[in-house]
Amino acid sequence: MSEITAPMGGKVIDIKVNPGDSVNEGDEVIIIEAMKMELPIVATASGTVKEIKCGKGDAVEADAVLIVLE
Amino acid sequence: MAPVFCLAKTILCNGDRFMDTEDKIRELERRNREAELGGGEERIAQQHAKGKMTARERIDYLLDKGSFQEIDKFVVHQCHDFGMDKKKIPGDGVVTGYGTINGRLVFVFSQDFTVFGGSLSGPFGQKVCKIMDLAMKNGAPIIGLNDSGGARIQEGVVSLGSYGEIFKRNVWASGVVPQISVIMGPCAGGAVYSPALTDFIIMVKKTSNMFITGPQVIKAVTHEEVTPEELGGAIAHNTKSGVAHFAEDDDKAALERVKQLLSFLPQNYKQSPPKVECTDDPDRTDPSLNKVVPTNPKLPYDIKEIIRTVLDNNEFVEVHERYATNMVVGFGRLNGYVVGIVANQPRFLAGCLDIDASIKCARFVRTCDCFNIPLVTFVDVPGFLPGVGQEHGGIIKHGAKIIYAYCEATVPKITVITRKAYGGAYDVMSSKHHGGDINYAYPTAEIAVMGPEGAVNIIFRKEIAASDNPEETRKKLVEEYRSNFASPFKAAELGYIDEIIFPQDTRPKLIRALMMLLTKEDSIPHKRHGNIPL
Repeated sequence: MSEITAPMGGKVIDIKVNPGDSVNEGDEVIIIEAMKMELPIVATASGTVKEIKCGKGDAVEADAVLIVLE
Repeated sequence: MAPVFCLAKTILCNGDRFMDTEDKIRELERRNREAELGGGEERIAQQHAKGKMTARERIDYLLDKGSFQEIDKFVVHQCHDFGMDKKKIPGDGVVTGYGTINGRLVFVFSQDFTVFGGSLSGPFGQKVCKIMDLAMKNGAPIIGLNDSGGARIQEGVVSLGSYGEIFKRNVWASGVVPQISVIMGPCAGGAVYSPALTDFIIMVKKTSNMFITGPQVIKAVTHEEVTPEELGGAIAHNTKSGVAHFAEDDDKAALERVKQLLSFLPQNYKQSPPKVECTDDPDRTDPSLNKVVPTNPKLPYDIKEIIRTVLDNNEFVEVHERYATNMVVGFGRLNGYVVGIVANQPRFLAGCLDIDASIKCARFVRTCDCFNIPLVTFVDVPGFLPGVGQEHGGIIKHGAKIIYAYCEATVPKITVITRKAYGGAYDVMSSKHHGGDINYAYPTAEIAVMGPEGAVNIIFRKEIAASDNPEETRKKLVEEYRSNFASPFKAAELGYIDEIIFPQDTRPKLIRALMMLLTKEDSIPHKRHGNIPL
């Protein structure tokens, strides 16, 4: 199990996966906006999306868990 | 191992017995071979079984064939305690001497793990100090191959004194000659301070580690459980602590990295870095550069695309690659001349400056300035990373290190603002005010005290509040501010930017500026030494 976390505080503007999707390490899974820039967040490991812990439009803090992979 | 004299052949001369000269020569050959076995065949096999080369094999691989001149091969320890006087091994755990790498003189010490676990004694330290002294007097790099269990406990305080003498010389040599450390095995306790004081640290994955206190002591004191690899392995130090600059797959790769680094460095601070013949057209323009910076200012891009495109033969040797990935530093060449590259990386943390990036940047800038390496800085930075962690972690003093490094540096400094340069971050990233010699900007540059939204909210607070449709007014004012101020033109009007350039011309522009600056001489006010915030 691995967690994909926010590298810095920002706003979730796009979630590119759904629970059950399989992802490879390096795939873009979420886009957050911070410092007026869109930051693509990539999967740090391969696996299946178990849980998405944020919603589009949510404000998230640095290190917040966004997606849980199995 | 007491020496055994060969009495096979003696010459009778007036009744006295003498050893034949040939026998003496053979005795020397025997002693040489014995010394070259270090701790013996069995220990050599154990070293190999771990995927590690021996101390001598490493020197052999690193230096030009046949160039190695060994010094102090027969030095042994003088310890009488704990039965040590019965166990003497020539060389005493370290192989020292000088030779050449690609024809250039270097001094090297290679710790021998097969001899008393590579542990340091008084004489071991003296051997290392001897070649460090020679390196400083003769102006040549010092390469340290570390593979040691640390202080030899039987030596007692003598080993500490020995370490101290080495550390002092690391400091004296700092900035005089390049010092490169390769961690090729354990390096623990006080032993880590010697590499810590050197210019570059290369670690071998899985077989090397560095820490002050190891897993056992940590477990006893704080009850934390951690493996040596997790605590202080190559990846831990390349990513978390930033102590190490490179993580290589094996001994050979690590030694190749030493050779590669040396090709960018002069022998000493009085020389320029080695120039090579340029086989890449210095006037090469690249229209693809016009598209690297996205039209949408919110989208990230990879600054390394620009870096690789402009450098000779697209060759960029990144340093500290895995640490503070929001900052990119490394070496390359322009028109055959070595340059040090510094760049914000928009792909990570929006290219913001934070504590780690500040330290990484400042350290690299100062290393280049030590050794006459011109600096080329690419800027795309929206600001410093906000956060309580950053503030309480001391971003104030760490960010100040970047300012200190650039203002202190008297090597040629060329800057290219590709996109954002806001607020204090504009100043710190090699601005004209901090000694930038030639400052370029792309048409996509946004040089301003603050982003349009923030600025408008402050400057036009009253107007927006008083208007019939505050949101409309705000939007209009933001657009106006963006077109008037979020551009390079105001800065160019002030002479803060020397020239706004077409991205496709970056390489020829950089080279023209660099050629002009080759004869630059500059100095800062005389003092004992400055007081960089630490």
